[in-house]
Amino acid sequence: MAADPLVELLAATARHDRAAFARLYQLSAAKLFGVALRIVKREDWAEDLLQECYVRIWSHAQDYRAGLSAPMTWMASIVRNRCLDWLRRPNPEVADPDGNLIEAAESGNPGPLEELERATDAAALARCLEGLEAKQRQAIALAFFDGLSHSELARHMREPLGTVKTWVRRGLARLKACLESTGAVRT
Amino acid sequence: MNLRANRDLQERLAAEYALGTLRGRARARFRAWLREDAALARAVAEWESRLAPMLAAVAPVQPPARVWRAIEERLGAYGAAPRGLWESLGFWRNLGLFASGSAAALLVALGFVAPQPPQPAPAPVVVSVQSDKIPPVYLAVLSEAKTQRPMLIVHAGRRSDQLWVKTLDPAIHVEDRSLELWAVPKSGAPRSLGVISADEKRMIGLGAVADQSLAEIPTLAVSLEPRGGSPTGAPTGPVLYSGPCVKYW
Repeated sequence: MAADPLVELLAATARHDRAAFARLYQLSAAKLFGVALRIVKREDWAEDLLQECYVRIWSHAQDYRAGLSAPMTWMASIVRNRCLDWLRRPNPEVADPDGNLIEAAESGNPGPLEELERATDAAALARCLEGLEAKQRQAIALAFFDGLSHSELARHMREPLGTVKTWVRRGLARLKACLESTGAVRT
Repeated sequence: MNLRANRDLQERLAAEYALGTLRGRARARFRAWLREDAALARAVAEWESRLAPMLAAVAPVQPPARVWRAIEERLGAYGAAPRGLWESLGFWRNLGLFASGSAAALLVALGFVAPQPPQPAPAPVVVSVQSDKIPPVYLAVLSEAKTQRPMLIVHAGRRSDQLWVKTLDPAIHVEDRSLELWAVPKSGAPRSLGVISADEKRMIGLGAVADQSLAEIPTLAVSLEPRGGSPTGAPTGPVLYSGPCVKYW
């Protein structure tokens, strides 16, 4: 596999190379904005959070360890974590009041998981997700894409909290076992 | 349950943290562990990598141009080394240098030496032990930058994992906000030591004896944070007080 250009851009960003950082932004912002939007469901919030996260990426680029994760994985984790923290701040306004986004995610039509099958680098994970029970798969997808907590998952899937927690836990364990057995390369 | 001794539980928590289902206080606690435990951090990174291919399924959305402009503005605001105040290690190091020039100032603050009359005069702090009787401790006096008034005394025995925080002015506590204490290393990000409760004197667990956890820490600082402490694990509010952390023995 060709070397990920983002690795070099992140390294240059750690040296405070503004041009490299601008390029890094150009190459990654749309994806990360998509990630943030899916979780917080409001453009103005997602814009503020994205801005914050890139300032953080700029100032913490030296903490990135190429051996540990791919640049996009590292940056997306910063964005997902920040968005999840944002959702749990006191008195959050209700996001997605009509539940449209949640419905779309639930119906899976056009579902993110179908999209996933098309991405070649995601083939192994897609295969392993396919191997899960439908409810386990759905719970994991809703948690990952939409940032739903256990109790939110229980509400949206109309199932008891304990049941949903078990789906997530077992689903993750099976996912790991499956990925390890297929010898999937981690990025 | 002892997390460190339970690898299965560690693995499960790492997975749920990476997925995003670990929430609330559990999430905050887990993040504190993460900072201290490289194996746990690696387990999380592995899970993030396992799940990362799902990102391919997220539709990219071009953010408006104002987002990049705002980022540039924020970076530009800090000039040649354009980093946020809290992000800037230079800022932290300066705090340390500025203050640590003088263990003498520390002794003044502690009342061992008569303070020069400043204006306004800081209340001298009287510690009722003779200087030759003080056990080996790590010691810090945190003052307000503008007035140089000492506000907190922090100390921990060399071989103790308990950090004692004495508040010199109870009025420093702000309703609905928390004061969080940070260890500021020579390089790298500040590490949270914990939230300072409203008691006049309280103990914070260091997780490791001071000789390990404080030896390489030139500066301690206090920031103003949302109630319960920083939600991100990094300082988010203004630095209110800071001071050198010195070895006294």
